[in-house]
Amino acid sequence: MYMKGLRATALVAGLLTPLAACGSSSTTSGTSAAQPLKGVKIEVAAKWTGVEQDNFLKIAKIFEGETGAKITYTPTGDSLDTFLAPRIQGGDPPDIAVLPQPGLVAQYAGQHALKPLSADVVAAVDQNFTPYWKNLGSSGGTPYGVLIKAAYKSTMWYSAKAFDTAGIQPPQTWADMVGPASQKLRDSGVKAPFSLCGASGWTLTDWFENVYLSQAGPQMYDKLAAHQIKWTDPSVAAALKSLGQAWQPNQVAPGALQTDYPTCVGTVFGKKQAAMVYEADFVGTEMSKYPGADQDAKVFPFPKVGATQPVELGGDIAVVMKDTKGAQALLKFLASAEAGKAWAALPGYFSANKNVPPTAYTDAIHQQLAQTILKVGDDARYDMSDMAPAAFGGTDGKGEWKDLTDFLRNPADVAGTQQKLEADAAAAFK
Amino acid sequence: MALGFLLPALALLGALVVYPIVFSAYRSMFDASGNTFVGAHNYTRIFTDADSRTAMRNTLIWVVVAPSLVTVLGLIFAVLTERIRWASAFKMIVFMPMAVSFLASGVIFRLVYEGDPHRGVINAVLTTVHDTFSSSSVYPGAIARPGSPLTPAPGNAFVTTTGIQPGHMVLLPLVGLPAAQLPKSATQAVPAPAPPPDGISGTVWLDFTRGGGGVQNHVDPAEKGLPGIRVQAVQAGKAVASTTTGPDGTFAFTKLPAGTYTLKLPGGNFAAPYQGVTWLGPSLITPAIIGAYIWIWAGFAMVLIAAGLAAIPRDVLEAARMDGASEWHLFRRITVPLLAPVLTVVFVTLVINVLKVFDLVFIIAPGSVQPQATVLALEMWRVSFGGGADQGAGSAMAIFLCLLVSPAIFFNLRRFRQEQ
Amino acid sequence: MTAFSAARAPARALSWVSKGFVQIVLLGIAIFWLLPTLGLFVASLRSEADNTNTGWWTVFTKPAELTVSNYQKLLSGGGFTASFWNTIWITVPATLLVVLIASLAAYAFAWVDFPGRDWVFLVVVGLLVVPIQVALIPVARLYGLIGIFGSIPGVVLFHVAFGLPFAIFLLRNFFMGIPRELLEAARIDGCGDLTIFFRVVLPLGKPAIASLGIFQFMWVWNDLLVSLVFANTDSQPMTKALQAQMRQFGANIDVLAPGAFLSLIVPLVVFFAFQRHFVQGLLAGSVK
Repeated sequence: MYMKGLRATALVAGLLTPLAACGSSSTTSGTSAAQPLKGVKIEVAAKWTGVEQDNFLKIAKIFEGETGAKITYTPTGDSLDTFLAPRIQGGDPPDIAVLPQPGLVAQYAGQHALKPLSADVVAAVDQNFTPYWKNLGSSGGTPYGVLIKAAYKSTMWYSAKAFDTAGIQPPQTWADMVGPASQKLRDSGVKAPFSLCGASGWTLTDWFENVYLSQAGPQMYDKLAAHQIKWTDPSVAAALKSLGQAWQPNQVAPGALQTDYPTCVGTVFGKKQAAMVYEADFVGTEMSKYPGADQDAKVFPFPKVGATQPVELGGDIAVVMKDTKGAQALLKFLASAEAGKAWAALPGYFSANKNVPPTAYTDAIHQQLAQTILKVGDDARYDMSDMAPAAFGGTDGKGEWKDLTDFLRNPADVAGTQQKLEADAAAAFK
Repeated sequence: MALGFLLPALALLGALVVYPIVFSAYRSMFDASGNTFVGAHNYTRIFTDADSRTAMRNTLIWVVVAPSLVTVLGLIFAVLTERIRWASAFKMIVFMPMAVSFLASGVIFRLVYEGDPHRGVINAVLTTVHDTFSSSSVYPGAIARPGSPLTPAPGNAFVTTTGIQPGHMVLLPLVGLPAAQLPKSATQAVPAPAPPPDGISGTVWLDFTRGGGGVQNHVDPAEKGLPGIRVQAVQAGKAVASTTTGPDGTFAFTKLPAGTYTLKLPGGNFAAPYQGVTWLGPSLITPAIIGAYIWIWAGFAMVLIAAGLAAIPRDVLEAARMDGASEWHLFRRITVPLLAPVLTVVFVTLVINVLKVFDLVFIIAPGSVQPQATVLALEMWRVSFGGGADQGAGSAMAIFLCLLVSPAIFFNLRRFRQEQ
Repeated sequence: MTAFSAARAPARALSWVSKGFVQIVLLGIAIFWLLPTLGLFVASLRSEADNTNTGWWTVFTKPAELTVSNYQKLLSGGGFTASFWNTIWITVPATLLVVLIASLAAYAFAWVDFPGRDWVFLVVVGLLVVPIQVALIPVARLYGLIGIFGSIPGVVLFHVAFGLPFAIFLLRNFFMGIPRELLEAARIDGCGDLTIFFRVVLPLGKPAIASLGIFQFMWVWNDLLVSLVFANTDSQPMTKALQAQMRQFGANIDVLAPGAFLSLIVPLVVFFAFQRHFVQGLLAGSVK
């Protein structure tokens, strides 16, 4: 596992101009001689598997070393909801759950399943996060969670070799990307320009959100996110029409609906059946599996569809479900700059902590993206489906995930897709 | 005294089986929050909600297809194994999946059904067989650029958009082929020499310069010919002459009668390689999972039926054989009727089991096709514990499931009475 | 198969041919049945990169690529090993308890007279087919109230309760077959019910108890749904631990394949060691 992490780091570092590693994580701050939480067990449940899981465990080790607590990590599997629901019902939730969507904070807070953050955790959050990020972890004005891991979701990953062969540069606009650039890629003999991860509905919602944010603008984006306008709105139709240009059968590598994330990454860098794959910065952690991908994989910003350059963000929010000393202490640690810096030195991690400097990242891409994420609040927007109720924006095979999967199956059906989206949204937003 | 013996069993059954049925029935009449009484709403929802209707339809398919297939297969296996010496080894192999968890079976069959022929064994076999019988083409996936003299025709073919008179030379550019996959014999493309007055010549080449240089529809220096492509001269819908391109992509027709021709590059040149079947897609997912189910349960049916067969008195069969009855006749008129009770038990057991099938669907169906693959037992789980967590609706589905299996109770009781 | 034998075959040659044909067909079926499991086994021995890019059958052309690194990685993680022990801690008690509680009840239903005996037994038989889905929500609440939710005892009790109807049904039918004279004799010797149960009924019931034990063992070992709801991380068995990795099937084959294979080894060994009992259990009372 260590080897894998190392290779992934090396690869991401090679993406742009290589920079010397600047991780300053080794300066262990304030080692309290006594271990205040010796023997305390803390269970953390999250969706992470693979590299993400390993990296979290490394951070957990630091906390364990400082406090003497013992952290148990539980992968929740496919759906966090199906994992938590029976455990809440049975009165035995994990101490800390990492919610992949802010929408879930409100949902669980409404079920009285969350414990408010203790005063010193709130203080740490105030010290390290801008109000925008703090609010994402709050419900009804009460802070419940800390956004411990962010994701930059407006990155298009591409194979430099495929682009070279086709003789194209990373496209600046959507029209160029789905038009001439795609045409040239197909001419050059790539099976399809895009690899889609159609078996994982969330990647499709991210596509849509980038297109909508760029085309309809941030104000409309906020309205749609809050369901203040309907999904039958003309702006949605326009976005779906644009999206349909990229999702045409001749644009998409075969078998997209059966391809999950991250298998779709391999379609580009392993099987070389497509030239581009869209997903967030964390795609970088997948490259170690494919020979030569570390040289081949590059990113360009999600191109403009309309007037706005889309910047979409996502993240994982840690909440307390059992009000124990250990749980609050761990959250305080995770909210600190110390944890953020240590985590940032590992691949595939992105912090929303304003006191984690860009230099904490070991690769150029993240250093560059980190600048953007700190300036969030202007045109950057948070992942819309993640803020919606889980029944609409966060469940495999239901709501928006299902409707967009159907749309990928039949990208001509704009009106029908809108109807379904609106019906599902209306039921979920009540 | 009796109470002492029964108490542990009855207490457990009461608390964990009977009470939950009662509670679920009660809970099913309330909404998601559990506070508002909604009457039969959750039950009508089973029949109106799109997802649970899919679940009902799929459950119906399961009940109609799976138990009968498994029973028939079990019967065939049981009868056949009577004729071989290594019967017990065979039975052990076929029965073995019964010992394997649904989860492991699910993992096993995800590997089997993987769509990519390089990874999924079924599609690997299918594509191999397919390629043995119809050789794959050299230039799959070739495309004609918009604005080129070629246009796609049915069956992967390309035809020229305009008519051509003898005495002319034509350029037929194609793109969309990875340069690395061209045949080794391909050499630099050249415009074909001008034909005699009664001939048509031309060049078929890969009109793509690495890195995007070159002029479209023009033979550039770095571009290679496409050797071995069949070219037909077509007049009034009929191919009147046919030739093949050389290493530099040139071809020539001679001695053509006067008239206007279209040139056709037949589909055989470009047929896309066969990619196998999308087993885990929305249309085949249920049959695919039923396939896995048969793999697991055929052994069960076989063992029970074989035991039934062993119990059939040999002398009855021998007597019939003496009378000159054919084996098929024996099978239909004696074996099957005598086996009827066993077959019924197997069948009913399977029906009950199929109604409750959960793990297999849950594991094999990828997230994106779970809505198409869902069955009642899985939908109950998705509704109660999935996004939205509506335990009222979930309880209603659980009770509905109970009602569906309840006829089996009477079947059991009757069988039990007969055994008394 | 009958097409060949249908021809009223007195000619030995023909029958020999048909026999050979049947052999070949069955051999084909046997291979067909073995292949998927073999595929899992081979895949578990291939590196992540190999599994990502090629199918397991390529091993036949280059067998050198096999490695046990997947197993090493899985077992060094600790989590999987813990779930293996959890599976044992769930399966063994759940099996023993079912056998004990059910044989007590079965004895009462078979040989102790009390009012309404047949009716109660009929109800128990009726409970045979109740789907466990109906109990998920209520029992989760119940366990929450008494504080055993997420614990191994909770999972065990649930398995015991839903194993009982079948167990009682099977054992009662078997106990009914014990000759009355044996019990009468014991009673005349002054034995109480308890002594009769332990000294006479249990020893005589061994074959049925063995069948039941194997059956219940397999059932609990292979369960996913019950542990999915009632177990937490500390108490989760292998099936649940592996299920959590299914989210990214394509990417997690290196964990899933060896995990699934390890999880099926024990039931397979049990099955081969006791297949006679297993089959007898099936014959004695299917319908579950």
